[in-house]
Amino acid sequence: MIAPAFKKYVSLARCSMQNTLAYRLSFILNFLASFIGLIAMYSLWQAIYTGQVQLSGFTWSQMQAYLLVTFFVNSMLSYYSESSITSKIIDGSVMMDLLRPIQFQKARLAETLGSCVLEGLLSCILIGLAAIFTFGISLPHDAGTILLFALSIVSSILLKFSIVYLSALLCFWTTSSFGIYWARTSITNLLSGALVPLAFFPGWLQSVAMVLPFQGIVNTPVTIGLGMTEGTDALQLIAIQWVWIVLLWLLGKWMWSRAVRQITIHGG
Amino acid sequence: MLYSIKKIHREGRGIPLSLIETRGLQKVFRQAIKDPGLAGAVKHLFTQRYKDKYAVEGIDLKIEEGETVAYVGPNGAGKSTTIKMLSGVLVPSGGEIIVDGLVPHKQRMENAQRIGAVFGQRTQLWWDIPVRESLGLLRDIYQVPADQFKQNMDVFTELLGMESFLHLSARKLSLGQRMRADLAAALLHDPKIVYLDEPTIGLDVAVKHRIRDFIKEMNRSKGTTMLLTTHDLGDIEDLCERLVIIDQGRIIYDGKLQEVKDTFARERTIHIQLSSPIPDAEELFRGLPEVQVKRSGDPKGTITEPQEGLALSIRFDRFRCTASDIVKRVMSRGEVVDFRIDEPSIEEIIRRVYDGKLDSAALSAAGKGSA
Repeated sequence: MIAPAFKKYVSLARCSMQNTLAYRLSFILNFLASFIGLIAMYSLWQAIYTGQVQLSGFTWSQMQAYLLVTFFVNSMLSYYSESSITSKIIDGSVMMDLLRPIQFQKARLAETLGSCVLEGLLSCILIGLAAIFTFGISLPHDAGTILLFALSIVSSILLKFSIVYLSALLCFWTTSSFGIYWARTSITNLLSGALVPLAFFPGWLQSVAMVLPFQGIVNTPVTIGLGMTEGTDALQLIAIQWVWIVLLWLLGKWMWSRAVRQITIHGG
Repeated sequence: MLYSIKKIHREGRGIPLSLIETRGLQKVFRQAIKDPGLAGAVKHLFTQRYKDKYAVEGIDLKIEEGETVAYVGPNGAGKSTTIKMLSGVLVPSGGEIIVDGLVPHKQRMENAQRIGAVFGQRTQLWWDIPVRESLGLLRDIYQVPADQFKQNMDVFTELLGMESFLHLSARKLSLGQRMRADLAAALLHDPKIVYLDEPTIGLDVAVKHRIRDFIKEMNRSKGTTMLLTTHDLGDIEDLCERLVIIDQGRIIYDGKLQEVKDTFARERTIHIQLSSPIPDAEELFRGLPEVQVKRSGDPKGTITEPQEGLALSIRFDRFRCTASDIVKRVMSRGEVVDFRIDEPSIEEIIRRVYDGKLDSAALSAAGKGSA
């Protein structure tokens, strides 16, 4: 029996999943578009690897796996989840949430996780297809790595949510979401290692990236999945993810209480 | 100077706290002042100037359990702002609110559990999932027990006629259907208090009646306290005994609906249909104060040959002479085929208040008289 207080968030997640299904066509098209992006990245890296055995410690087959895992992580919590939070703030329907006995942050997390289930399923299918057509990608094979990999993926989603939530709350002050969305996306893509593995960065930038939360989104699950980080090192990376999740969650809570006061000043 | 509401009630033992109580409630919005044009916009980037705009300026309101109160005023009078503060969405800039023993914006979650709200302009249904599922979600959010949920769903479906669209998503509903579903959504958890912000806006007569009947039934059977804002004066006449009129952030009248009618809607008009015209009908009412007579054509007459003088409209003050007196005098001189009496609608009265034609001092005196 689930505690009733928890059940409301489970129901929210279920409804969010259902809502995402209502947009299935547009959702799938959006997904295919990013899949084309993956193919482009794939071809680009293929050209770079011509005549090279390895670059910055990555072999071609590792790079292929890197691209697939990055695609998977990035397709979780897509633009849909993000825009559903920002649009609530922009169009003022946040008021309807304030009328209900639910906590805004938890409710948004529940909804995000709900649609993540579908996003995850769909990207697994696409990755499966991709894996059939490409050869020699090395995905984890021992149980320990798979477990750590799965754990780091879950943490990565929570971490990404925390960052997205914080940036969405900024809409209370900007009253427009596009600038924030683009800024958030490009910073996340660069510093998480989604565009280029962090190992390719110059030393100083790599150090900067490692002390920021973004690397936990792509770099951590990918290096664990590829077996580049193992055992206690892997656990340490996951622990760092969790430190950030907790910190950013609390920051989100604090920012929300500020934001609610902001409604006060400007009027809902 | 401001004593806390709770303190007052501790001191004045024996007087129970009203269900909803506000004291000196205020809400100030900060408005940016921008000079006109591009230059003004650029200037605003560097030097921001703001002006304080009082949306609500010191409201004292007490609402008892089981009351249905109409909260009326022109656009921008502060109605919605008050409701948003009462429901805990907005934080007041000053003054106090206690709703069922809670401070809504501080105990938002607890307060939300006990209230329901319909904002006519917004929906709380999910746009893309069937209404039935949206209501199911609300059941989980408010932790409504299964049997209570089932019972309410049955009653609401019946009273609001929702059977035909429960399986549709909110996106596909007409405005009237959506409003009914929203009303059901707001009352599903048997809230003690329901705030209705323009619940009948833009609806056709049939749906309006259905919604009013539903509101009345909920008030009667469950004792739900209702506070509704509306521009539809039929809502007020049909639903509310008590009327609170607000203008420019202040309450200008708070009292019985009948009281305001008696004070400001004294005039009646009798429309009489005669079988043959009465020459100089005005003479009939000699000696009666403030009676005005208007003749008009008989609708049965043709356009080219209107039967002048067959219809009389007689306006009088109902506290200075009676309708029977008027009719008697007409009947003494001619045969009355048909007649009806018009009383000024509450609409008329409130329109005058909005236009500033009614002395607000007289209004508040009338309000005190009823209290």
